[in-house]
Amino acid sequence: MLQGELYTELKDVFPESQMEVKENEGHPLGNGGKVAVYPKTENEISHILQYANKNGKTVSIVGGGTKRGFGGLIDSADILLSLANLKGIVEHTVGDMTLTVKAGTPFQELQQYLEEHNQKISLDPAWPDYATIGGIIAANESGPKRLAYGSARDAVIGLRVVYPNGKVIRTGGKVVKNVAGYDMNKLFVGSMGTLGVLTEITLKLRPLPKYESNVLLSFTEGDFAEMRSFAAAFLDSQMEPVSLELISPSLAEKLTGEKFYTLAISFEDNESSVHYQESFLKSIQPPKTKMTILAQEKARKFWQSFYTISPNGRVSNQTGETEAVLKIGVVNLDVLKVIRESHLLQDTHNLLIEAHGGLGHGLCQIVLRGGSENVISAIQHLRNFVKQLNGYAVIKHLPFILRQKIEVWGENPPYFFLFKGIKTKIDPNNILNPKRFVGGI
Amino acid sequence: MSLKGIRTNDKHIKNLANIVEGNRSILYKKEDLLAYDCDGFTIYRHLPRAVVFPNNTEEVAKIVKYCHEHDLPFLARGAGTGLSGGAIPLNGEVIISLVKMKRLISVDFENRRAVVEPGFVNLKLTNSISDKGYYYAPDPSSQYCCTIGGNVGENAGGAHCLKYGVTTNHILGLEVVLPNGEVIEIGKDGIPDAPGYDLLGLLTGSEGTLGIVTKITVRILKNPEAKQTVLAYFDNVADGSQAVSDIISAGIVPAALEMMDQIAIEAVEAAAFPVGHPKDIEALLLIEVDGISAGIDEQIHQILEVCKRNHVREVKVAQSEEERARWWANRKTGFGAMGAISPDYLVQDGVIPRSKLPEVLNRIHEISREYGLRIANIFHAGDGNLHPLVLFDARKPGETEKALKAGSACLQACADAGGSITGEHGVGIEKREEMRFIFSDEEIAAQTDIREVFNPKNLLNAGKLFPTPGRCLEVKKEGKSVTAS
Repeated sequence: MLQGELYTELKDVFPESQMEVKENEGHPLGNGGKVAVYPKTENEISHILQYANKNGKTVSIVGGGTKRGFGGLIDSADILLSLANLKGIVEHTVGDMTLTVKAGTPFQELQQYLEEHNQKISLDPAWPDYATIGGIIAANESGPKRLAYGSARDAVIGLRVVYPNGKVIRTGGKVVKNVAGYDMNKLFVGSMGTLGVLTEITLKLRPLPKYESNVLLSFTEGDFAEMRSFAAAFLDSQMEPVSLELISPSLAEKLTGEKFYTLAISFEDNESSVHYQESFLKSIQPPKTKMTILAQEKARKFWQSFYTISPNGRVSNQTGETEAVLKIGVVNLDVLKVIRESHLLQDTHNLLIEAHGGLGHGLCQIVLRGGSENVISAIQHLRNFVKQLNGYAVIKHLPFILRQKIEVWGENPPYFFLFKGIKTKIDPNNILNPKRFVGGI
Repeated sequence: MSLKGIRTNDKHIKNLANIVEGNRSILYKKEDLLAYDCDGFTIYRHLPRAVVFPNNTEEVAKIVKYCHEHDLPFLARGAGTGLSGGAIPLNGEVIISLVKMKRLISVDFENRRAVVEPGFVNLKLTNSISDKGYYYAPDPSSQYCCTIGGNVGENAGGAHCLKYGVTTNHILGLEVVLPNGEVIEIGKDGIPDAPGYDLLGLLTGSEGTLGIVTKITVRILKNPEAKQTVLAYFDNVADGSQAVSDIISAGIVPAALEMMDQIAIEAVEAAAFPVGHPKDIEALLLIEVDGISAGIDEQIHQILEVCKRNHVREVKVAQSEEERARWWANRKTGFGAMGAISPDYLVQDGVIPRSKLPEVLNRIHEISREYGLRIANIFHAGDGNLHPLVLFDARKPGETEKALKAGSACLQACADAGGSITGEHGVGIEKREEMRFIFSDEEIAAQTDIREVFNPKNLLNAGKLFPTPGRCLEVKKEGKSVTAS
């Protein structure tokens, strides 16, 4: 169908002033649409989906665009549904510590607003200024502090979702504890927009910490046995770090100016508790390490720059190099092996590789930059490596053209038929973010 | 089959008995089945066809496959402590009891995980790892006898989930027998965020309608360095509620924040673990904070200040582990304690936004007056999870039905306040109709659509969780108090 016809038909169900014909731009990250629509209300989204579902039009969903390079084998769907204008706080009950917000609201806006009430959403995603809360939830984005605070699945207590047939379904509720019916929230967290369009998200909040610090412990001789025994001893203590993130030398250099394997150990509590834990760390500090304590604003600054280390899908890559990001999941302490292996690949594959991973939760992120063949080869190498550890590797960012060459999500699990069954049940015409997810869902 | 001395004309029972190794593998005589006609929800009863006791995953899979092929309804059962009727064999199910599968398979302290079989008792896990300073966080009041498999089915909570989360926040992996007998393993090795839809999250709390878990990988936690417990007595419920709000507003995340009202206090003081609470107060709060010792004194100081500001009559900090344990025993046996002041009781499980506590409590008092039944309140005030306990006497004609209606009215009050009909006990049989208080028909259909993906023949635990109009149930005639807490 011609773009013009699609535009004309859409006009009948949607305000023309919120539509835009997209030139066939061939965006390097794909996941575009022939006609972009910018709904301001849930009702408008419902109309668009009803139209698309009836007429077999595919819909690609975008929030801030930071994850445009995450999955997807379609250059351009029929409709690009942007949630950029579906913004704002619906309800914040300060005393209940719950927040209901529209999906297109940028994460940082929410945190800034909540700060006035001494509260926060306990997630620490990449690119908080641009990433929308809807995108963070749909992609199950998390950061180092999930060690203490959990991930999106732990923070979301309710959703409003527009199903592909245009019907609005509420899942969960507005209370922090709820087992009525199936826990449908979980189905949508991390579903990459393949089951419905999230319009409102209700989150449980936490109090802002009264004090925070980030202790950087650098292993100046890169002794892995030492790192492992330190991490194991520290994890076996009764300290309560909010992060225990191992940072590869090249990433450490970018963040701290010093090229050593470094642990970023953060504490958030009242001041006496934080200082007590810092003292504990000093008491077990291994030889041949260097310790720097970043307090308060300095700790916040560190993390702010940390959240911008990966490529941002909304900004075009001008470097001429191929950029890729891997999310790797392994058993907690195997993170050490993954980060070391990633670091070693720099030389063998002539790449810049920045890696980090949480020793208390088992998730790593590897950013690779360099020639495309080397990038692909390094990804394959790491995928094989983590397979031996029973782990997985998902490609969180890669140019569209390369996504045709390597499976973004890895092998399908043996229970893939359940994924397929769920998708078919909810989106029988396969209109929402087709081919964006595991196994071509 | 004669080897096991089975005498019945039911060929299915003979065939099922053959699947399971060893003696005591199946119950099928009426007198044996009577113990399985209900769970912790005793108002409705129905006899199962048989109860089988598999020893391992393979046997569970074979039993399930057999039921699937022969269109026999079946369901899984743990300790039978569920409070909403999830394990009641409404359709004369074959009950697959998992009590023989009770091994602790492995513990990995370095990576903070343990693997258990579904029949492993909740508290036994903590007891097995406490010498190394670790524990398993979800702590339903029945934790001394309930199984972790059942906890997964119900997404069980507990007093300490305010800070540490409910069961779903602690499940890292599951081995599941699907309703057709196929075995799948999700969350391999307990590694988080496995690619794909979050089946772990979906299965946890599915009340045994999507599959039968046969192996569970859980997160274990290090014991907090310090723990302090405060007991506060209020003359006035409103003051107690305000204190709850003020503690949370002060930025404190207590490990537990429990409340009991006057009738509940009367009951716990008349039961097995009295503490000596004054009987003329309207509310007591049991508050626990834990964490780094250096930070705790400040929190306790703040909590004491908040209580004083809200006209507390008396407030004290537990001076010993023994005193703390006594306070908790008094609280955790609170449901059962109702037996000391009433022949029967019905426990409800609503959730409200914390800020609506005073108005919902008022509404519950009105309901109590309207139905002429006393209602005690024990609740996890910190997360707004109320447990109204409707006291009644089943020997009096019509009183059971009246109690059920009063319980339902309490849930309506919670739903009206923007809350939920269940925070941790599950929907089961008990609250099927109340699902309509919070979900539209389409939203319920969205959920049964998911059930169809896993359980297309609906042989596994049918008739639970969702409203099914027109089903007949035998309402229990004579009184018997609920023993699970």
